[in-house]
Amino acid sequence: MYARTWVRVRSIYGEPLWLVVGIAFPLFTTFGLGFLYRSSGVGALAGFAVLGGIAVSFWSNVVWSMATQFYWDKQEGIFELYLVSPAPVSAILIGMSIGGFVGTAPSALLVGVVGWQVFGSAVTPSWALVAAGFVLTIVALYSLGMLLASVYLAYGRQAESLNDSVMQTVSMFSGAYFPSVGVGSPFPVSLQLVVSLIPLTIGMDVLRKAVFAPLTSAFPTVYEDLAILAVLCVVFFVLAQWAIGRMRERGRKKGTLVVRMG
Amino acid sequence: MSVLRPLLASIWMGWQREIGWGNPVVAILARSVAPAAGALTAAIVYWFGASAAGLFDPGRLAYVVVGASLYGQVALYAYVPTSAISEGKNSYVYPQVFMTPSSSIPYLTGRCVASFLESVPVVVISVAVCALVSFEFFHANLPLVISPVSVALFVAAMALIFPSALGLGYMLGSYAIFASKFEWAVPSYIAGTLMILSEALYPASVLPWPLSVVAQSLPFTYFMRASRDVLLYGSLSRYVSDAAIAFFLGLPLLALGLLAFKSGENRGRQKGFIDRKSM
Repeated sequence: MYARTWVRVRSIYGEPLWLVVGIAFPLFTTFGLGFLYRSSGVGALAGFAVLGGIAVSFWSNVVWSMATQFYWDKQEGIFELYLVSPAPVSAILIGMSIGGFVGTAPSALLVGVVGWQVFGSAVTPSWALVAAGFVLTIVALYSLGMLLASVYLAYGRQAESLNDSVMQTVSMFSGAYFPSVGVGSPFPVSLQLVVSLIPLTIGMDVLRKAVFAPLTSAFPTVYEDLAILAVLCVVFFVLAQWAIGRMRERGRKKGTLVVRMG
Repeated sequence: MSVLRPLLASIWMGWQREIGWGNPVVAILARSVAPAAGALTAAIVYWFGASAAGLFDPGRLAYVVVGASLYGQVALYAYVPTSAISEGKNSYVYPQVFMTPSSSIPYLTGRCVASFLESVPVVVISVAVCALVSFEFFHANLPLVISPVSVALFVAAMALIFPSALGLGYMLGSYAIFASKFEWAVPSYIAGTLMILSEALYPASVLPWPLSVVAQSLPFTYFMRASRDVLLYGSLSRYVSDAAIAFFLGLPLLALGLLAFKSGENRGRQKGFIDRKSM
């Protein structure tokens, strides 16, 4: 686990351009949607776009550097090394998650700092809730990433080609930039229930409530959200462990674990 | 004739690469998911903000939907030369083009045309999905002017901005000949810049100086205006003026792009950069 964390951290911090590359999508989207909030008449809500940009930095890392990583490793011939090493695959995935988080943190921080400088949104954070919400959201997101890594490995190119769609669609349904559940959501209740299964949805809801308390004072259910997030963390982590086992078993039976796709 | 054949072959190759991997309808629908989701995100952000301020206007929602559906597509075909070169280096396709005695320009142009052909239905699907969702979820009818003439003029506007996108694409393609990493990050930067500066989501006047001035001098801004002139306002006179400005502002960009690519290509050949693969 430490070894995989170290490799990921070194690969990111050893190449300063990663920061420039990683920040592009969330920063531009933050600016675009922040100015859109401002032009729609409520500049104060531009802070939602900044908060969304920070969360999307991590979601982007989960999609591009967790979900697809095993597939790319397989194509490069590295995945075989994981399989023959005595380390459990789940430890490698956890190491990858920790490394990914540490590597993405500077980009996310920069999005936050620049965003708040430009839009100057008033925040009244409850830091304990922010910290709890953030940690649980990150754990749930990276657990989902671990689960997706097995799925992508099993389905290869078909899954990889859906990456962009998954990234954008989940960003939209999870309400990274606007409330997608509860009061203010544009979605019908049935859809809200479905999108609540995405950790980012509940995580963003908690963070918005914790950071913009007066703006969102109509939503008092932050502790319930934290409980749901904690459950999602456990569910996705357990599902990820199960999927890794299934993926190995299926790959061994079919002999496709290290077969590269052209 | 010597240019036409490689151009047509490249269009066909680009189409096969983008769409030909499966059923064309399914491929187009799959390609439309991300742009439609992006446009919907912008539409919902406007709806949420404007409703909170008590200023919701379906016309303005349509303004956001049209712009949000368009900017990503322009960015997409501006990125195609970079993708064709960097991906082609790894798959050994581009060296086959590069080693021929003629320039790679017809090849890259053909790939861009294929991407343009793909982007037209993607934009239409994206706008249609947003109109449907707006009606279902926001109970707002988007005041779109949909007629054979308006659609034809809109497609013409997309064609008129093509030289600008191509010029930008050649410049980035020139960079891709020499670059060995991170070329895939380029579309985020192009799409992001266009989203902020080209009136995709809001009027340029919202931007702080000097960004507002930069926005007014971009051909892409006038392309957005021309598209809205026909799809939202039904104003032919404004359309002609905006489309003409978009086209003529794009010509220097095209010339500059051609110059940059030819120069990059010559230097790449002299120094042997074609063998440098992307990471």
